[in-house]
Amino acid sequence: MAIPILSSIVLIPLLFAVLTIFTKTREQARASALLSSVLVLVLTLFMYFNFDSTTTEMQFQELAQWVPSLGIHYQLGIDGISMPLVLLNAIVIPFLILFTWNDNKQQANKFYALILATQGAVIGVFLALDFFLFYVFWELTLVPLFFMVSMWGGPAKHKASIKFFIYTHVGSLVMLLGIFALYFAAWKQTGTPNMGIEHLLSQFQFIGDSLSRDLIFVALLFGFLVKIPSFPFHSWLPDAYVEAPTAGSVLFVLLKIGGYGLFRVTLPLLPFTPSMNLMITIMALLGSVSVLYGAFLALAQKDLKRMVAYSSISHMGYVTLGAAGLVSLSVSGAMFQQFSHGLIMSIMFMACGVINNATGTRIINDLGGLARKMPKLAVIMMVAFMASLGLPGLTGFIAEFLVLTFTYINQPTYVIIAILAIIITAAYHLWAMQRAMFGVYNEKFGALKDISASKTFSMAVLAILILYFGLHPSPVLDMMITNSEKLVSLMAVAGV
Amino acid sequence: MADLTLLTPELTLVGTGLAVLLIGLFLSTKAKKILGYLASLGILASLVLVVMSLGTEGVLFNDTLSFDALSQFFKIVFLSVALLVSIASIKYTEGNSHTEEFYSLMIFATAGMMFVASANDLMVLFVAFELASLATYALAGFEKKNPASLEASMKYFMIGSLSAALMLFGISFIYGATGTTSIPGIAENISLLLGSPMGLLSVVLMIAGLGFKIALVPFHMWAPDTYQGSPSVVSSLLAAGSKKMGFVAAFKVFMIALVALQAEWTTAFAILAVITMTLGNVVALSQTSVKRMLAYSSVAQAGYITMAFVVMSKTALAGAILYALSHGFMKAGAFIATAAVTYMVLSEKKDAEMPDHIDNFRGLGKRMPVTALCMTIFLFALAGIPLTAGYMSKFVLFASTIEAGLVWLAVIAILNSAISLFYYARVVKYMYFLPSDGVKIAEPKPYTFAMVIAAIFVLAIGFWSEPFIYWAMEAAKVLI
Repeated sequence: MAIPILSSIVLIPLLFAVLTIFTKTREQARASALLSSVLVLVLTLFMYFNFDSTTTEMQFQELAQWVPSLGIHYQLGIDGISMPLVLLNAIVIPFLILFTWNDNKQQANKFYALILATQGAVIGVFLALDFFLFYVFWELTLVPLFFMVSMWGGPAKHKASIKFFIYTHVGSLVMLLGIFALYFAAWKQTGTPNMGIEHLLSQFQFIGDSLSRDLIFVALLFGFLVKIPSFPFHSWLPDAYVEAPTAGSVLFVLLKIGGYGLFRVTLPLLPFTPSMNLMITIMALLGSVSVLYGAFLALAQKDLKRMVAYSSISHMGYVTLGAAGLVSLSVSGAMFQQFSHGLIMSIMFMACGVINNATGTRIINDLGGLARKMPKLAVIMMVAFMASLGLPGLTGFIAEFLVLTFTYINQPTYVIIAILAIIITAAYHLWAMQRAMFGVYNEKFGALKDISASKTFSMAVLAILILYFGLHPSPVLDMMITNSEKLVSLMAVAGV
Repeated sequence: MADLTLLTPELTLVGTGLAVLLIGLFLSTKAKKILGYLASLGILASLVLVVMSLGTEGVLFNDTLSFDALSQFFKIVFLSVALLVSIASIKYTEGNSHTEEFYSLMIFATAGMMFVASANDLMVLFVAFELASLATYALAGFEKKNPASLEASMKYFMIGSLSAALMLFGISFIYGATGTTSIPGIAENISLLLGSPMGLLSVVLMIAGLGFKIALVPFHMWAPDTYQGSPSVVSSLLAAGSKKMGFVAAFKVFMIALVALQAEWTTAFAILAVITMTLGNVVALSQTSVKRMLAYSSVAQAGYITMAFVVMSKTALAGAILYALSHGFMKAGAFIATAAVTYMVLSEKKDAEMPDHIDNFRGLGKRMPVTALCMTIFLFALAGIPLTAGYMSKFVLFASTIEAGLVWLAVIAILNSAISLFYYARVVKYMYFLPSDGVKIAEPKPYTFAMVIAAIFVLAIGFWSEPFIYWAMEAAKVLI
C-alpha cells in the first residue's frame, strides 16, 4: 500500500484541528474543517470498497516500533468490528459541519478544531491495535468533548462538563489498571514486554491466578460500561448530552468507543474468565435494565433533548444485551445497533437543536404544531423517530430485532425484561412527536421559518442512509456477522 | 591517579560560576545582562558534556565520587532545569545590580546538586547537599526588599538547617555502627546495624532529614510558603531541581547503603507516599495563588515518586527517575510561565498584591498566547494527559505498582491523579475561557524562549520516549 491510509484518516483530522485553530475567520475555519472531513470520508470510502468483509483478519495494517523497551508499538488495523464505526464517523462528521455551516458560533476556529480533534481521536480508538495507543486515543477523546461542553454548552455546562469528565475519567483509569495488570501478567509469561492488543488478549487465558483474571476482566468491562454508558453508570450522559451544543451532542453520539471495547476486548476475554457465567449474567442484566429503565426515564421527560438523551441510554442497552447474547446474530445485532444508533441520534439531536434555536424552548408541552411551519423538519424528524422506535424498514428495527430474537436463545429472562420497554419506547416517541410537531400551533412563536438548505441537506442525507441501511443492511452487517461468528466460536471452545 | 576528565562538566560549571562572579565586578548594571548569556552558555556546555559522557563509568578520589548512568541522568535533570532557569532569569535580573551574585549562586547550587548525584560517600553527599542548600537559601531571599521573599528564605533556612542537622545525626549513627561513611561500605557492613535500635534510629533520622528536602508530608510545611514567596525563577529551581537532589540522595542512602533495612523503611515510605500525594492534591484544589497551587502539586508529585521506594523494582525506579526528569521540565516550565505572568502584572501595576493570583490568568490565551499555550502543555503534562512527559512517567511508575501486585497503591495514585486534573484544568479554563479586559502584551523573550524549550522537551519525552526510558532503565540498574 503506497499511502498509509489508516494513519491518514487519524492524522488528517488531528492536523487539521491544529490548523483550524489558527484560522482567522469563521469562513476559513468551517472550510478547513469541511475539507478535512471530506478527505477522511473519501479515504474511508476508498478503504471500504477495498475491504474484504469475508475475513476476520486485520486489514490495511500498519506497524512501527514506538517504545521498544516497553513493547509499545504504533500499530493500526481495521476489521469488520471497527470498519462500520469508522464509516459512521467519516459519514456523519462532514454533514455535521455542513449542518453548522451558517451557525454564528463564537470562536468558530476552536469550535471546528474540537470537532476535528474528536473525530481523529475516536477513529484512532477504533484503529489502534496496541493497548498503549488505544488508551492514548481513548483519553484524547475526553479533552475536546470536555471543552466542547464547557465552552458552548447550555446553562449548566460547567457542572455537566465536570461530571462527564470525572465519571468517564475514573472509568478509563480503572480500565487502565486492568490494562497494566494484563500487560505485566503477559510480560511475566512471555519474558518480553508487548502492548499489542491481540497479543495481550491471547495471553489472557494463560494467567495462572484465576482471581487476577476476574479482576482484569471486571476492570476492563467497567471502563467500557461507563463509556457506553450502561445502567447504573449512566448518570453523566443526560447532563452531558443535554448541556452540550448540538454538534457536541452529535459527537457524543458518535463516541461509540465503549461498545467497541465490548466487542474488541471483552468478548474475546469472556470465555477465559473464571466466573464467566456470572459476567454474562451481569452484562445481560445491566443491558436489559438499561433498555427498560432508560425508556421509563425518557417517558418522564418534559424536555425534548433530555428525552432523546435518555432514549439513548435505552438504545445502548441493546448493545450490552446483544453482546451478552453470545449468538453470532445477537452480537451482530448489537454491533449494528451501534451503527444505527449513531445515524438516528445524530438526526434527533440536530432536530432538537433546530427546534431550540427557532422557538427558544425545548419543553415538549410548550411546542406544538411545528409541522405546519416546518414541514421539512417534520418529515426528517419523523424518519428518525420512527427508526428510533423500531419501525420495520429502518435501521433501528434490524438492530433491535436481531438483538431481541437471538439473545432469547441464551438469555430469555433478560430479553423479556427488555421487550417490556418496546411499548414504552413507542409511547414516548409518538407522544413527543404528537405534542411537539403536530396538534395546535402555538401562536406565540409567530412566523417560524423552516430549516435552512444546508441543514435540510445534511439531515436528509442521514435520513436517507437510515432508510437505505434499513432496507439493505448487508453492506455493513455482513462484515459484522463474519466477525461475530469468530467471537462466538471462541465461546464454543470454552464450552458454552 | 584519578582521571579528572570525568569531572569536566562540574569543572566547566564551577569555572563559569567563578567567571560570572569576577566579570560582574567590572560591569555596569546595564551591561550585566551579558552575565546571563555567559552563565547559560556555561550551563549548556556542561550539559552537553554530561550528555556526551552518558555510558562512561568511573570513580574518583578514593571512590568518594562515582560516575554512572544514575548520576549522569540526574545531572542532566539538574543542568536542564538550571539552563531553563538561567535563560528565564536574563529577564528577571534585568537592571538588577546583583546579577552576578544571582547567577553564581544559582550555578553553585547546581554544582552542589551534581556532586550529590555523584556522591559515593555520606560525607561528600552531606557537603554537596549543603553547598546546594546554602546557595538556594540565599537565592530564595534574593528580593531583599520584599518581605514575602525574606520570609520564604528564613523559613527555608531554618527548616533546611534543622533537616541538615537531623541528617547529620543519622549519618553519625550509621558511621558509629558500621565504621564507614562510604555508601557501598555501609552496605557491606550493614549487619552491624541490623537488629540494633541504632539502625531504626538512623533510618528515621535519614527519612526526616531527606523528607524535608523532598517536602514529604509531614515535612512539607515550608514548601508552599517558600515556593510562593521566592522569586518564581528561584521557586522553579527549588521545585524542579533541589527537590530532585533530595531524591537522588534518598535513592543512594536507602536503595544502596541501607537496602538491608528495607523492612524498616518500605512501610514508612508507603505511608509517606500515600499521605503526601493525597494531601498535596487535596490542598492544591483550593488554592487561589498559582504558585502556591504549583507548590502543593509539587508536594503531590513527590508523593508519586516516593512510590518507587515502596515498589522497589527496576521498572518502578526507572519510572521514578524518568518522572524526576519530566517533572523537572514540567515544573520549571510552569513556574517560569508564572514568572512571565507576574512580570506582566507587575509591569502594569507596580504594587499589585499577589501577582500570581489565578485571576491574573484570565484571558491569558489572548494576552500572552505563547505563555498560555506552554502553560497549558505543562499543566496537562503534570496532570498526566497522554503524549506528554507526565503521562509517560506516570505510565511507567503506576504500571510498576501493578507489576509488584500493589493494586491498592496504584488505585490511590490513580485516583489522586484524577483529582489533580481539576486544579490544573482550572488554570487552563481561566487562561482560555474567562474573559479579561487586559490588552495583548509583548511577551518577554527570555521567558518565552525558556518555556518553549521546556515545552518541546515535555512533548518529546511523551512522543519519542524510547531514549529517555532506556537511560532511565540504565540508571535504575545502578540501584538494583
